[in-house]
Amino acid sequence: MGRRLDRVVLRLRSLFRSADVDRSLQREIEGHLEEGIAEYVARGMSRADARRAALRDFGPVARIEEDCRDMRRVSVLQNLVRDLRYTLRSLGRQPLLVAAATISIGVAAAANTVVLTLASELLFTSPTVRQPERLAYIRTANGSHVSYPQWRELDQSGALAGVAGYQIEIEVNWTGPERSISIMPLIVTSNFFDLLGVPVATGRGFATSEAQAEQQPDVVVVSHPFWQNRLGSDPAALGRVLVFNGRPHTLIGILPRRLRAVPGLGIAPEVYLPLSRHVLPSLDDRRSAAVMLIGRLHERQTLQQGRAALQAAVERLDRGGESAKLGGIRQFAAAGGLSQLTGFAFPEIVLFFGLLAVATGLVLAIACANVAGLLLARGSARRREVAVRSALGATRGRLVQQFLAESFWLALGGTLLGVAVSFALTGALSRVTLPVPIPLEFHAAIDARLLLLFLSLLTVTTCLCGFIPALQVTRPSLVPALKQDEPRFGRRRWTLRAVLVIGQVAVALVLLLTGCLFLRNLGRAHHLDPGFDTSHTLVAQVSFVEGRYTPETRAAFLHDAIERLTALPGLPSATFAHGVPLTMRSGMRTGTDLQRGDGAVFHARYDGNFVGPDYFATMGIPLVKGREFLTTDHAGSARVAVINQEFARRYFSDREPLGSQLHLPGATAPYAVEIVGVVGNSKHRTIGEEQQAAIYESFVQRGNRGRFVHILARTAGSPDAVARDVERVLNGMDRSAAIEVIPMPSALGFAFLPSQIGAVLLGVLGLLGLGLAMVGLYATIAYSVSRRTAEIGIRMALGASRGAVLRMILRDAALFAAVGIAIGLACASFITQPLAAFLVAGLSPGDPVTFTGTAVLLFLVSLAAAASPARRATRIDPVAALRRE
Amino acid sequence: MGKPSDLIQGTLDLLILKTVALEPRHGWAIAKRIQQISGEVLQVNQGALYPALHRLEQQGWLRAHDGVTATGREAKIYALTAAGRKQLAREIESWDRLSNAIGLIIREAE
Repeated sequence: MGRRLDRVVLRLRSLFRSADVDRSLQREIEGHLEEGIAEYVARGMSRADARRAALRDFGPVARIEEDCRDMRRVSVLQNLVRDLRYTLRSLGRQPLLVAAATISIGVAAAANTVVLTLASELLFTSPTVRQPERLAYIRTANGSHVSYPQWRELDQSGALAGVAGYQIEIEVNWTGPERSISIMPLIVTSNFFDLLGVPVATGRGFATSEAQAEQQPDVVVVSHPFWQNRLGSDPAALGRVLVFNGRPHTLIGILPRRLRAVPGLGIAPEVYLPLSRHVLPSLDDRRSAAVMLIGRLHERQTLQQGRAALQAAVERLDRGGESAKLGGIRQFAAAGGLSQLTGFAFPEIVLFFGLLAVATGLVLAIACANVAGLLLARGSARRREVAVRSALGATRGRLVQQFLAESFWLALGGTLLGVAVSFALTGALSRVTLPVPIPLEFHAAIDARLLLLFLSLLTVTTCLCGFIPALQVTRPSLVPALKQDEPRFGRRRWTLRAVLVIGQVAVALVLLLTGCLFLRNLGRAHHLDPGFDTSHTLVAQVSFVEGRYTPETRAAFLHDAIERLTALPGLPSATFAHGVPLTMRSGMRTGTDLQRGDGAVFHARYDGNFVGPDYFATMGIPLVKGREFLTTDHAGSARVAVINQEFARRYFSDREPLGSQLHLPGATAPYAVEIVGVVGNSKHRTIGEEQQAAIYESFVQRGNRGRFVHILARTAGSPDAVARDVERVLNGMDRSAAIEVIPMPSALGFAFLPSQIGAVLLGVLGLLGLGLAMVGLYATIAYSVSRRTAEIGIRMALGASRGAVLRMILRDAALFAAVGIAIGLACASFITQPLAAFLVAGLSPGDPVTFTGTAVLLFLVSLAAAASPARRATRIDPVAALRRE
Repeated sequence: MGKPSDLIQGTLDLLILKTVALEPRHGWAIAKRIQQISGEVLQVNQGALYPALHRLEQQGWLRAHDGVTATGREAKIYALTAAGRKQLAREIESWDRLSNAIGLIIREAE
């Protein structure tokens, strides 16, 4: 033991005090030789002869020293440390190179870290529950949801240890101290906490016995963010009574912070409520889509066995003759552990992150190619040093190791920078509220996964940046390099460097082009006329408590609200509607057979909405002929409808629509409406859509159901000015209703979201790629100019004009850029095809303007990048260049 | 007396350990001592001596310290460690076995 420790100490000593140890070895051998010399001198030799004799006796000193060092068995490590030290010093003298390389790698590493940590957070983590690897997400063949009775039967079938159900799509109103807000709860079956073992920080979860849906349970468990933000971190929160949907619930538990909720994908429900008739009135309906399923396997039951058992249970239940069938098990995916990789439940998200990872991987490749190019240029200038060292006996391996040590430092600096930046980014990202209706929460932490990612990024970048220059520069062709006899007049254009640069240009083009496509899309979208006034309207999203109103009382409420609002100054008109175009709830799109009053049957695709009186005046949609809906169009009067011009053009081209009858599909049988008006066209789902046909019906006649309604108001001035007044009036009418008043421009943010995200993400990536590629091109041209100094000098001495030299250098740059652009265009034409779904009508994924524009832009920027080294070439003094011969 | 014999392979360690066991010495003195004691029969290859010393030190059988030689030079003096003493005993034992075995073969062949 002591001996082993001694040895370690010796080795470490020889590692870290290698200069000391070497000196001591030299002294020792010198001493030995002195003794030998003294002996020979004593025999009468001259001192010089004696020294020669002693040396002869001893043997080759350098080799023996090396043998002694080898005996200490640290030389590999020692060489590595020496290389690392040496390269660190030599890099210290090149701040520009270090800065360019570190930033290049840093940017790419940051992008990769953000994407990969997000992806691993979303895809490879398990919900925070007891033994997540024993849980499985279950989807039946007939959909992701099953009804409450079906859940009960599956849970009691005994196929699995248990099946829990949860529901993420039903909002509830929480009546806070000032007003009611609509929040996203996780509505769960009674066994949820008991079966899954979701940890509770303070208090407890629901016991199965107290949360039975039939007994109208009135307990709630809240998330840590809810407790913190909405309850002000109240230390006495346990036992507090919270009002959800107008009913008091007792708070019995607070969940821990940084909890990964059961639905996955970063979804972070604010509160957990037991399933009951209050939140889901259709509880006993076997056809209602009540809950999604997650099951726990029996002990020692494998995933396959669990699936088979559940499949058998489903078949047994389906044979039972009930009306709604489950149809079998479509998906049975592990919720945790390694097996979740094979049965992943969310393929679209995997695809999305796959694409993102490819994009950021490309940026990393560009950055590495760039740094490799810089090192290559530098390494070639150092070819002589390399040749001298290898002539002195350094093996190729040692030389390669030295180059790798250099790229290691650059990779280390870059990766550290990247991880730091990505942390800042994810920190900022988690503070931004995304304009999506579901609360999301991502955890980024310094953990084993991040460390692993860091190490792999470091290794990959070190190798990518280091190996190619190392191999190229240390290529064993000693003699010409020693004589500095490089082929000066050769036209070796297609070097490895050139190929790297061409690749970079191609990748940058693809990224930039895709970004431009999205940007152009966004620009077009903003200039598209939605067909209604967005600058002087505001919208109040109203969510009633389920079951609080009958159709009559709701209609009375809405008419009352309109009266009170139009009494406000600066509010000329107000109305209500089922959907608001270009928002999350934009109404519905139908494709069905319709029958005209004259008997003609035709297939129609149209957008439908249920709207109140003065809707078109309020929205600023022009009335072409006929009339608006009126307050006299009430539930008891004749049913009326208004169509848009597109509907009239498509389906009433041969007769006057006003006064015509139209048979629309009802819940049981078609019903007739009379067309009383034709209005201008407007957009419904997305700003970029082709013009759609539309039918508007009277809200009180047809749309008066459900808990959501929009109240719309036209404002004389800016909608922001009166938003608070509107909110106050509406809140005063029903405290339990969640009301959010938004000026129309903000409400439309949703319509632009996909294009915005796409444009920003790809634009940023594209610009980064462009910048990196340009640095690469610059380095290549600059290097080629420095190598061709003599050639250029001779050409100029022989009478070549500066213009001719400039053209000669730029020709190379232009050639590289053109080839890269051509390759990039070819790739882009494939890659952009799947993007068609995101683009506005009339903008094809192969948009010639974008393609030509990007190509020309990239070409010009490439020439600009080459301009500075090319100008340097024209300033070469022929006399000085030739003197170097 | 002809040309001094080269050391039998593997015996250098034994000789060094034995020489140092008597008293701590530096490299030159170790080589000289082996030569003298063997009656100039054994000539230590100086090129092999120092790597061997460093190996034995690395193994923890020798410990080196800076000191002064009999002739007044500063030098690295090697001394035997406790582990080295045990190793010496093992090496002597295996040498005895080997030389006995060789003796038996030679005598039987006569």
